[in-house]
Amino acid sequence: MTAIGIPSYREWAETELTGPIAYSIVVPAYNESERILPTVGAIAAHLCSLGEPWELIVADDGSSDDTVALLEGLELANMRVLKAQQNGGKGSAVRRGVLASRGRMILFADADQSTPIQQFETLRAELEAGADVVIGSRSAAGASVANKSLARKIFSKGLNVLVQFGFGVPFADTQCGFKMFTAESGHLLFSRQLIDEFSFDLEILYLAQKLDLAVAEVPVEWIDAPGSTVDAGKVALEFLRDMAQIRWNDLKGRYDQPNHAKVAVNASHLGLLAASSKGR
Amino acid sequence: MNINVVQTDPHHPRLELSGRFDAFETEAFRATVDGLLNGSRSNLTTVLRDVIFVDSSGLAELVRLMKHCRESNGELFLEAPSDPVRVILELTRLDAAFAITEGS
Repeated sequence: MTAIGIPSYREWAETELTGPIAYSIVVPAYNESERILPTVGAIAAHLCSLGEPWELIVADDGSSDDTVALLEGLELANMRVLKAQQNGGKGSAVRRGVLASRGRMILFADADQSTPIQQFETLRAELEAGADVVIGSRSAAGASVANKSLARKIFSKGLNVLVQFGFGVPFADTQCGFKMFTAESGHLLFSRQLIDEFSFDLEILYLAQKLDLAVAEVPVEWIDAPGSTVDAGKVALEFLRDMAQIRWNDLKGRYDQPNHAKVAVNASHLGLLAASSKGR
Repeated sequence: MNINVVQTDPHHPRLELSGRFDAFETEAFRATVDGLLNGSRSNLTTVLRDVIFVDSSGLAELVRLMKHCRESNGELFLEAPSDPVRVILELTRLDAAFAITEGS
């Protein structure tokens, strides 16, 4: 780590930012009381070492454990905890987080640090090179995947084949919980997102293609996190259902304008919807 | 995670750790430290300069080791924690529980 790390962290923890924000990190959390503090610590230490203003947004998803209390007890000046009265699905939590963000780049990262935050700069480089959306990939050439079970490998491969050949979304890994957006693309996409569960990533990438945004897929390091709560069979069925739902939504024109009133207001205030029609 | 045992002082072994200290690593860590500690050796230093992440399982393992050392009238020293480890210890309020040293 750099020599500026700890002093920079102290300032970030104690003094609320008032100027422009470079990066927003959005972490969805559902019953993460065991994992969330180390994750916040790792993210804070790394982002503070970069020397640019940034904010952390933890979007709780109606946790029934101590996740929210633990986070609020930290009293970090530049961390916001978005509370939800009930569990609405990971997609709803990420949407709330992205739409509340103020950074010019937005990363959403899973709460388990399965993709280490040190991969942040890899994705940022692609945004700086002109991409609108950058997705971390466990399947792209050069990716490093550790501790992934054979069953989970087979499941992931099956989903990828289904998505690429059955759905026409040409990415090797749509589900990695490490994706980055420019402010414009993030607000544009998440204001139209309708799927609240696991396959919201797929919907976001479908929309990115539909809106002709530039999407880059980059290999990342990924370490399977113990305690994963993914039920493969249930998720596969939901995935199939949601693929059909996304097509149906598109046919019905449900993606033609923002679907979330509050979001549309936020985005128009930022001039983001106007920026989205830049004719790419 | 890599674990390197440095035995310059037979009564006070040092462990240099690097990488990610998570639930996948606790078994190997425990096997290493349990082999080092016995009735006559209760001080241990773990060097955390190159540890990039420690999760709740790793923290629990360090707490277990600290208790073990103290029960033998010794101490577990955490030497030169990296920035992420230092912040994680602070957020979990374990920084006050451990003996943290800066090292050379």
